[in-house]
Amino acid sequence: MSQPATLADAAALAHDIESRLNQVLIGQQQVVREVLIALISGGHVLIEGVPGLGKTLLVRSLGRVLELDFNRIQFTPDLMPTDVTGHAMYDQKTEQFRIRRGPAFTQLLLADEINRAPAKTQAALLEVMQERQITIEGKAFTLNEPYMVLATQNPLDQEGTYPLPEAELDRFLFKVLIDYPAHADETRLVNMVLDGTIRASLDVDSLSPATDAAGLQAMKALSNDVLIDAEVLDYALRIVRATRDFNGLSHGASPRASIALARAARVQAMFEGRDFVTPDDIQQVARPVLRHRIQLSADAEIEGQTPETALARLLDQVEAPRQ
Amino acid sequence: MELEKASARLAPRSPWQAADLGTQFYRHWAGSITGVWLLFTAVPYALLLALAAADNSLWPLFVFWWLKPLWERPLLAFYSHALFGETLTLKALLKRWRGYALPGLAGQLTWRRLSPMRSFNACVWQLEQVKGETASQRLKVLNSYPSNRAGMLTLLVLHLEQFMTFGLMALLYTLVPWQFNLELSDWFYDQSGLQLAISGLCFYLVLCVTEPLYVACGFALYLNKRTWLEGWDLQLGLTRLGERRRAVKNVIGALLIFMLVPFMEPAHAEPSASDTTTSEQQQVIELLASPDFMPLEERTERQWINQDNSDAESWMETLWRFLFENLDDDETDISNSPLNIPDALLWAIFWTLFVALALWLIIKVANQFGLRGHRTSKRPMIPTHVAGLDIRQRSLPKNLNRAVEEALKTGDIRAALAVLMRAALAGVLARYPVALAAGSTEQQCLRTLQQQHGDPLPIAYLQRLTQAWISTAWAHRPVSDEQVRTLAQHWQQMDRLEADHG
Repeated sequence: MSQPATLADAAALAHDIESRLNQVLIGQQQVVREVLIALISGGHVLIEGVPGLGKTLLVRSLGRVLELDFNRIQFTPDLMPTDVTGHAMYDQKTEQFRIRRGPAFTQLLLADEINRAPAKTQAALLEVMQERQITIEGKAFTLNEPYMVLATQNPLDQEGTYPLPEAELDRFLFKVLIDYPAHADETRLVNMVLDGTIRASLDVDSLSPATDAAGLQAMKALSNDVLIDAEVLDYALRIVRATRDFNGLSHGASPRASIALARAARVQAMFEGRDFVTPDDIQQVARPVLRHRIQLSADAEIEGQTPETALARLLDQVEAPRQ
Repeated sequence: MELEKASARLAPRSPWQAADLGTQFYRHWAGSITGVWLLFTAVPYALLLALAAADNSLWPLFVFWWLKPLWERPLLAFYSHALFGETLTLKALLKRWRGYALPGLAGQLTWRRLSPMRSFNACVWQLEQVKGETASQRLKVLNSYPSNRAGMLTLLVLHLEQFMTFGLMALLYTLVPWQFNLELSDWFYDQSGLQLAISGLCFYLVLCVTEPLYVACGFALYLNKRTWLEGWDLQLGLTRLGERRRAVKNVIGALLIFMLVPFMEPAHAEPSASDTTTSEQQQVIELLASPDFMPLEERTERQWINQDNSDAESWMETLWRFLFENLDDDETDISNSPLNIPDALLWAIFWTLFVALALWLIIKVANQFGLRGHRTSKRPMIPTHVAGLDIRQRSLPKNLNRAVEEALKTGDIRAALAVLMRAALAGVLARYPVALAAGSTEQQCLRTLQQQHGDPLPIAYLQRLTQAWISTAWAHRPVSDEQVRTLAQHWQQMDRLEADHG
């Protein structure tokens, strides 16, 4: 299995993974790119989109291409925290307590419709996402690296949902919006299913692994070497800080967003084959990093603004780095 | 007019006190005046409302509203007689209708319909029944300073009318059982015939209160103004004094006869007439100084200091008078009356706010529904900053070469390239203008230029320069001094070339 030694190798490998994923996930290039950036950055992703756009397929494909373990949990109102993390159970044969590991013990965890479960179950994911460990009966279990949670939300059906608290939202590196594919892409997708090139079911057997966990870790390590100039870093911080007192926003992003922006910008630069970050990289990843971390004011919502339009205005107004 | 018969005390009052007197009129004759209102308006309104409900149109109701001066005529006729002790019956009002309803009505229903002074001026047309130039002169006199606040009265009653109508509708809405599933907003947006009829009925019920009140207040303001101008209070006071004196004289005469006849004494000198006169004068002075005639009042009015010096009036003052005196009342004598700034200012502020609010709403609605076309100027505004670099001409060095060389001497290649970048961007954007935001990066600028203007020489040069800048500034791989000098020379050559061409 190939492991990148240089930044150029890492960029080539990243593009290879990206192209493989794009073979099965038609017309979602931007989504694939953003999920890969989050994965290499070591972050988690909140995906928002209507059902039927290939969210589960994306995660299965990722697991296949990167040879990572994959689990899926469908969040429901009666889901308990132990259903996610696992619990200790008494084994009558051995007369001892045995730890039954929950589906969170994996490398890629798809938390489907995360906002369907109540707050306590959502909170069970907090430790998993932040500490990369799960504590059961006082014993902490460290999770295998890489570890990534991909949570999904349905933007349309809000009946009986529990909106994610800010603390949990902040733990997602990116919020990715997955939309319907363009007309041409959808035509291509339907044709490929009809002529048997791909199957309509979640079939990822046709995909071959491009690398493994070690390769991914190597890419992550290489991305840490990407240079970020002080002026460019300052630009990233100015963008995040601007969200805190920007007209139309009632609250802005935390320092965790600044860290996320810098980390993601490095990986974005790596994707572009560069060993340095430019202001354009910062702009490129600013939207997925910030869109779930900002809260529109009531006035702005009444005026019909969205986080996207507010961020577009903000990025237009924050001056690009000075000399 | 026999002032002695007036059932209210006619004294000079402030306009607000006069309006209070008007509300007293209404309260005193509330039953009768409501009867008058219903007699003259119930049937026409019912017909018009039925028409409105049938056609699902607001035009019939608008017609009723427009004819308000006509409906107010019987009310004023009733008040004007009732005040002086003659309560007109409904039959008498109907009989005399032509006499009080027609004078000045044509003007009131057309060009004077929207005058805010309607309640006040109607008294002149209807009660004094003057016409033409005489009427104009009369209105000028009655509307002269100080203001009678009839305009503010109209404004207040207008708001009262609307608040009461909406309040009544809201009350009805709360009383409708929930099974009917009636939404209050439906009354405004989705009006069926029934909803229109209910709304119209609410409006009429409110008018039953506000119209008699409005007419009474306008009438009281009119009486007050005349009291000020014509000294009705003095006239009444002196009449009362004369009556009292006659009574005292009679008593004194009787007493003298009674005393002098049995105890006749030798004649004495007659008391001087001047003593009587002095005491009478003293009585009159005391009476006039009493609160009955001269109620103490503190008031603050703003006036031009040199208002009497009309010859030296500046054009600003003339304009001021023209605008604001006209707002107060069309009939005011512009040339003679002093300014009434508070009232005029109130109207000016009101109309300014009203127009501003209307414009704001129109723009807001147009934006909301995307009705407003995005006007794109032919020539986009040239940005002053790109990628944080100040590219305004005045911020650029006069001698570019020297600035670049100075930066290179200190080994600051980044600064040298920054100067060059600023000059190049300013030059390129001046020739190939594009719209750029303050947050545009150098690469965005380049992409936008290439998308809109292709790849002419200056833009191709800018691309080379941008690459050098990115390599130096962001990648920390500075280009050589020679490369910077070459770039500077190329820019100047190209600049000259472009200048020669044109």
